[in-house]
Amino acid sequence: MSTRSLVYGLFGLFLIALVFQTFYVVDQRQQAIVVQFGDPVRVVNPPGRNEAGLNLKVPFIEQVIKLDRRNIALEADQEEIITAGQERLVVDAFIRYRISDPLQFYRTLRDENTASDRIERLVNSSLRQVLGGATSTDIISGRRAQLMQQAKLDVARRATASRLGIQVIDLRIKRADLPAQNREAVFRRMSTSRQQVAAQLRAEGEQKKREIIAQADKEVAITLATARETSGQITGEGDAQRTRIFANSFGKDASFAAFFRSMQAYEASLANGDTTLVLSPDSAFFKYFERGPSGR
Amino acid sequence: MNVPREHVANHLMPWNDNANPGPWGSPSGGDDKRDQPRRPSGGGPRRPGGPDFNANFDRLGERFRDFMGGPGGRPRRGLIPIVIGGAFGLWALSGFYIVQPSEQAIVLTFGAYSRSETPGLRYHLPAPIEHVEKVAVTELKRTDVGGAGGDAESTAASQMLTGDEQIIDIDFSVTWRVADAAKYIFATRQPEDAVKDVAESAMREVVGKTQLQPIISTARGQVQQQTAELMQKTLDSWGAGISIVEVQIRSAGPPAEVVAAFREVNNAQQDADSAENEANTYRNRVINEAKGDAARITQAAQAYREQAVREATGEAARFNQIYTEYRRAPGVTRDRLYIETMQRILQNSNKVVIDAKGATAPIILPPDVFRPKGQPAPPVVAEPPQPQAKGAGQ
Repeated sequence: MSTRSLVYGLFGLFLIALVFQTFYVVDQRQQAIVVQFGDPVRVVNPPGRNEAGLNLKVPFIEQVIKLDRRNIALEADQEEIITAGQERLVVDAFIRYRISDPLQFYRTLRDENTASDRIERLVNSSLRQVLGGATSTDIISGRRAQLMQQAKLDVARRATASRLGIQVIDLRIKRADLPAQNREAVFRRMSTSRQQVAAQLRAEGEQKKREIIAQADKEVAITLATARETSGQITGEGDAQRTRIFANSFGKDASFAAFFRSMQAYEASLANGDTTLVLSPDSAFFKYFERGPSGR
Repeated sequence: MNVPREHVANHLMPWNDNANPGPWGSPSGGDDKRDQPRRPSGGGPRRPGGPDFNANFDRLGERFRDFMGGPGGRPRRGLIPIVIGGAFGLWALSGFYIVQPSEQAIVLTFGAYSRSETPGLRYHLPAPIEHVEKVAVTELKRTDVGGAGGDAESTAASQMLTGDEQIIDIDFSVTWRVADAAKYIFATRQPEDAVKDVAESAMREVVGKTQLQPIISTARGQVQQQTAELMQKTLDSWGAGISIVEVQIRSAGPPAEVVAAFREVNNAQQDADSAENEANTYRNRVINEAKGDAARITQAAQAYREQAVREATGEAARFNQIYTEYRRAPGVTRDRLYIETMQRILQNSNKVVIDAKGATAPIILPPDVFRPKGQPAPPVVAEPPQPQAKGAGQ
């Protein structure tokens, strides 16, 4: 009984091991390389083929190495690049790639860690080359998309040449900024430019103020002058009418008018008592005073 | 028929209980004791203190023999198919699962994509064969770039160069959702990081094409729109199965280092406006004053005209009347007028009458003589001219 149990048990274990050695699962997100004594013999579920699921291999002889099949992100180290205009830019880029040829990938790079180092160096060198030939304006604004495309193609070409077995999906510049010491300069420029605008605004305000005041003063002067003009006309009218009235009236007897008016004037100017008159007794008023009742 | 059913019910109980190792486990005292209180009463015979398992099994075996109609064999053998069947049933039942209304389920058969399932009660082949990954497809996810941190990393993420080579500080959020659950799971590694990377890259690309001032003021919506479109385009080109709902700029402004200068511009604008306001205030005041003055001048002139004409008319009327009378007796009237006038003048005045005929030396008059009447010591000051003198001095 016990020997038989042992044999059954061992056989059972062997069967289980056989099952595990024969079947293997390749996830939808993975691809696999079947390796025979370290030598890759075939590829399962690479991009473009749909072989995910339960797969078979020769038990105990073939081994399976699994690789990612998805779009993998790789962030390149921040790098300072000197542009065509001798300006410095700190560039931060990332690449998205996929293991498209797992056999090549396995032969050249073995695993993803090695791949990361290698691809990162590739990306940095491509960026240096592509961006080094462009001005900072191009990189920041003008031709950013084209330059990224150019760098992507460059990385893809070199990856193919080095037989890395990867497909470059996208290469994008995340940040392209000025290094710290240049930023200070930009801040200074921004500040001074703003100060200039501020001074300009103030000056414009002052200009407007003076213009308005000058215009107001002008309007005041014109208003007053116009008023004086009208005033002169009205006054003149009054004087003219007065003159006409007097002329009409006094013109009836010029001699009497002169006498009458003189009498009024004497009275108006002398009769208020503040005058000392030094008179001669032989004036007309004193005719009788001097010569007696006959007046002769 | 009642009895066998009761038996079955009784003896199946222990193995439905999860805590029990199962009916074929060697019955031990401990197990039994634990089992005792749970055992429903009224079943088979009970032997107090002792294990009654074997007896039960025997009886169960009998039941099975009856049930299967087979003769003989050891009673325990018949149990195995039931156990296996039950276990298989449970295993098979473990394939039921619920997909919430907000979710979509992806079923994988040995790791390979098999199908997508919509919300509801669903079934997959049990564990090693199929498994399910659920993705919240209606849920809006949010990725923040820059912002609250204030540390070097978030500053680096939020500061960027504009088209006119100025530095702007932008914090923004991206709202996105899973558009295609299968693509979302299978196409991209770390899809959430991908969204953030693409967001930073796209925002910089768009800001790099825009000037600083518009981003701060009017072009904000446009930047958001363009960034969202660019992100969508990039993610679509990857087949990431992600849909960008919205890019929202939370704050956009000059970096802290130059904020003072930007405020200064605002202040300058305020100053300019207030200078203009001052000038307008002055203008309104002086112009209205001038209008008032002008009215005064014109009115005064009109008053003068009226006065002059009326007074002249009055004078003329007086003269005319006197003249009418004068013509009747000219000589007498003339003399009378003269004498009356002189009387009125001399009545009020200081007078000195000197007969200078025959005088040889100059006559010296005492200064008191020249003092106006009733004024002891006149100040030698010229009286200011009356403003109305012109009109009144007829």
